[in-house]
Amino acid sequence: MEKLILEETEDTPEIILDPEEGKFKISKISVPENALDFYRPVLDWIKQYAEEPNIQTVFDFDLEYVNTASSKQIIQIILLLQKVSEKGNVKVNWYYESIDEDMRALGARYKKLVTVPFDLVEIE
Amino acid sequence: MAKESTNNLFGAAYDLFKRIGDSDFEYVYRGYFNHNITKKILILADKSIAKVTGDTQATLQKRIYYIMVEGLQNITHHQDEIANDRNFEKYPGIFAIQKSGEKYFITTGNIVANDKVADLKSRLDVINSLDKDELKKYHREILTGGTISDKGGAGLGLIEMSRKSGSKLHYKFDRLDDEYTYFYLQTQLPSDNKNDDDTIHAHCSMDGVMSLHQRMTKDNLQLLFNGFFNQENLLSLLAIIKSRSNLPLTTIKISNVMVEMLQNIIKHGEKSVNTSAGVPGVFFLGQTGNETILTSGNIINEDAASVIAQRLEFVNGMAKDALSDYYDDILLDFDSADAKKTGLGFTDLRLKSDRPLKYEFQKLDGGNTFYLLQTAIKTNK
Repeated sequence: MEKLILEETEDTPEIILDPEEGKFKISKISVPENALDFYRPVLDWIKQYAEEPNIQTVFDFDLEYVNTASSKQIIQIILLLQKVSEKGNVKVNWYYESIDEDMRALGARYKKLVTVPFDLVEIE
Repeated sequence: MAKESTNNLFGAAYDLFKRIGDSDFEYVYRGYFNHNITKKILILADKSIAKVTGDTQATLQKRIYYIMVEGLQNITHHQDEIANDRNFEKYPGIFAIQKSGEKYFITTGNIVANDKVADLKSRLDVINSLDKDELKKYHREILTGGTISDKGGAGLGLIEMSRKSGSKLHYKFDRLDDEYTYFYLQTQLPSDNKNDDDTIHAHCSMDGVMSLHQRMTKDNLQLLFNGFFNQENLLSLLAIIKSRSNLPLTTIKISNVMVEMLQNIIKHGEKSVNTSAGVPGVFFLGQTGNETILTSGNIINEDAASVIAQRLEFVNGMAKDALSDYYDDILLDFDSADAKKTGLGFTDLRLKSDRPLKYEFQKLDGGNTFYLLQTAIKTNK
């Protein structure tokens, strides 16, 4: 499957969805005005990927800022990853800086809402 | 009761908001200036100016930029000079850029030692007494052999500010105590409006800025943003907040809350006129005791007010645990396709705010309402 790479902008995250390299990562900042439009291609991509995923998928979230509009899109990504896990092994890593209570809390919220293996990973 | 905020500007926010015109703005930063903050302030101001001047006034925009750079450097110079002194914390510097009609006003303020005042004043008076050609000559003289001041500039910065603006340098000295005087410096441009009606610019005049400074000091405001909001200046404001990062955890929280509040204005605020510059509003950030207070104000449709009030009462009335569960519910509710209606914003703000969300509505003419919202974040070390 063709990889999907989106470079970071001032208000949208860097997105790497690369099955060949086995790299799946959303990082940096996500505060777009229109999160719906921004995440649509990402959701479409994962939907398609769920049909025929790698044996192992490790999906990393390493975000610095997330607005509420994005948080609603991110839960959809995670739910799709749950779907991916029906055909392959999936693990989600949610990175947060040790001082960032809000980012930890958001990760904990997602973890609670899904059944896919979900690790909260503190970084210094 | 302690419940009442000492942040008096809450009530005055509408007066602030309405005093500026449709394509006008005023940004004021009060506090400690470091290189990073200075850079971000420049970006914010420059982008905003670009939005309203358009391509036709590239020269003006460059001049304003230049003057802002000089002014900001002035503040940091003075700040460095007094680096070992607590007094800079006691009397923080201030930078203001205001646009009123066709005119821009750039004001800086900082403390200087009392024994430097006379020298500074005489330099300013010399500069103000010279015409364009004389200034050019004076500039060259100093460049080629004048005495360099301990600030390293021999007042070159001041001369350049005067030359670039083409107008006199307005200044005021306000003696604070036995050691220090507050020094205000203002540049106005462009200078070609001969008979300017100063009454429309009253809030930008030296007196106007000084009285605003007084208010900001009294309420301990660090940032005031009055004008139009768009995604671009939201990001610049975010960068400014990030640069003040002496308290990392608090900074993150403030940033998160600020993004929601400002995007709320951008998404739901009414425009009085159709301008591409953004949605008019006012935002300020201040410190009361151990809380950082964030306040936003904007115009909404009168009919929206009751809906907003209901939602705010709803989130304020809930215990945080229950509210957190409610957050999960909305997160998983994909049926309401309209992202605007999820209500996540208020829920998130209430969860992050350390006290109930404070709000106020003020009915305006023409079916509009001015809507104020305030959140508070405890300052954690």
